[in-house]
Amino acid sequence: MDGRRLLAVTRRVVEGIRRDHRTLALIIVVPLVIIILLGWIIRGSSTPEVRLLVVNADGQAGAAITSALLAATDTAPVVVIDGGSDPAAARDAIADGDADVALIVPDSFEADILTGAEPSLTILTPGVDPIEESDSVREVGLLVSATLAASLPPEISARIPSIERETIYLPPDADALDSIAPVFLGYFAYFFVFILTGISFLRERIGGTLERLLATPVTRGEIVLGYSIGFGVFATVQVLLLTAYVLAGIEVPAIGPLPAFTIGLDVPSAGSVALILAIALSLAFGAVSLGIFLSTFARSELQVLQFIPIVIVPQGLLGGIFWPIENLPALLQPIARVLPVTYAVEGLRAVMITGADLASRTVQIDLAVLTAIALIFVVLAARTIRREIA
Amino acid sequence: MRKTFGAIRAVDGIDLGLEPGRIYGLLGPNGSGKTTLIRLLLGLARPSGGEARVLGTRMPSREILDRIGYMPQGEGLYGELSVWENLRFFGSLYGTLDRSRATAVLELVELSGRERTPALELSGGLRRRLSLAIALVHDPAVLFLDEPTVGIDPALRVQFWDHFRSLVGTGTTILVSSHVMDEADRCDDLLFIRTGKVIARGSGAELRARAGAADLEAAFLAFAGLDSTGRPTGTDQGGAA
Repeated sequence: MDGRRLLAVTRRVVEGIRRDHRTLALIIVVPLVIIILLGWIIRGSSTPEVRLLVVNADGQAGAAITSALLAATDTAPVVVIDGGSDPAAARDAIADGDADVALIVPDSFEADILTGAEPSLTILTPGVDPIEESDSVREVGLLVSATLAASLPPEISARIPSIERETIYLPPDADALDSIAPVFLGYFAYFFVFILTGISFLRERIGGTLERLLATPVTRGEIVLGYSIGFGVFATVQVLLLTAYVLAGIEVPAIGPLPAFTIGLDVPSAGSVALILAIALSLAFGAVSLGIFLSTFARSELQVLQFIPIVIVPQGLLGGIFWPIENLPALLQPIARVLPVTYAVEGLRAVMITGADLASRTVQIDLAVLTAIALIFVVLAARTIRREIA
Repeated sequence: MRKTFGAIRAVDGIDLGLEPGRIYGLLGPNGSGKTTLIRLLLGLARPSGGEARVLGTRMPSREILDRIGYMPQGEGLYGELSVWENLRFFGSLYGTLDRSRATAVLELVELSGRERTPALELSGGLRRRLSLAIALVHDPAVLFLDEPTVGIDPALRVQFWDHFRSLVGTGTTILVSSHVMDEADRCDDLLFIRTGKVIARGSGAELRARAGAADLEAAFLAFAGLDSTGRPTGTDQGGAA
């Protein structure tokens, strides 16, 4: 390993990317735009009011529930519509989209209460968009149980304990973004670094520069390491920018016609930025070598892109970004356990959400595994760069 | 030396023996094994049989590569980097870049004043010149030039050859491959190559005399056993067309 040659390769890689403004934008600007968009969608989207159709098939008891619900609507994001007493008409109304959810009080409701049988209410939704409907159903459920509790005699309702939620790490009102944003710090770097190294190394192979490199005294190790440091420089800038945006929370007041907005995602983080960078970079280092390694199996830039659904997408699904590894089907868990993204996700969440530091066993294991995976691919990558191409 | 790719014999029992301070020409049609032979000598390929020695060192050898200059047939340039950055990068892989030498080399290939131009924006001929400059930047003792004059205008071609001659005067050994016969006469020693074999070797004058041919092209065809239409002599393969 010769320092000057290593520096020359690193410098070449950095100059190449700096010259290529599109690539530069892809590394630095695009991830920032995506995370801004993601934050805007998750935080800024308004939940529409749930239109609740109450159908009362049970005369008096049902009427009490209906009027209680009608009275309670100003506190919940639910608009209650009186749906009469015909369950069949309610089905039509839901099917036609006149209401989102129907609450049906069956004709046996009061009788069940009086005879000691378990009374039941039916909630009807269209069954078209399960995710949105389950949100509506939850809102309706909360409203109904609150209303029913309030309609009980005061001496009983006073005895129902109220539940106060407390949390250890993120605040109780944390949203999906608070747990997803830390992960993207590593995943973006992995994705872009992999694609860009794959393509630049493919160009070395087909453009004849690799042939020329191998006719100089440069070693394979110097090439792989030079590439890693060169791309590492840009990955560092990317991760630092994204981290700054994720952690920042600068409130900008409304100016003229512009509404007030917040710069940054204001994700509460307890951990150190240095450790975040260390985890994200050890993941990115592995991506450089993986890109070099896989470029051997591509004959064109298009074929490098074909590795995205093979390499990047499965890691996004299995790496624990959206679904915890422990909840995955038993067969998929061992697969998830060999993917580098899994360890980066775990480490980044541990550091950012729970404030884990280097003394944490999780962080130690994650860093060790990421480094080991990176080293394996460095060796594999170096092996595919043959001085002798037979 | 031999090199086979599956059933294809790219280099089939070639025995070179090159003296220092001379220009050697590898002459042959496309696919005759010239590039494979050069790659074997650079250690970019390993011989299937025999061995390649350059400057007394058995190839592949990384150590000896800083005394060898190589101009590949393909471009081998970084398009987004400027002329100077390309030269500086490859130059610094051989140790510390000698700036005055780099400047002199650029002057020689008439690229002075274009240092800041990205290689991508150069014309094909200019890119060949930069490619040659890179091969020369570390003052190598041995030069392997794979079709160096392709796409270069005649005036510059003459200059290239004059420069090759002056390099040889300082003790450099040059092996040039070409399929252009008229420039081959400027080599000290010519090797006619066909299907991986050396079919004749000698100076241009010697080869012409031995073949009884007026020019090198005719001499090549005579040694290859082909008539002037490229068909094997003595057999009639074509029939009525």
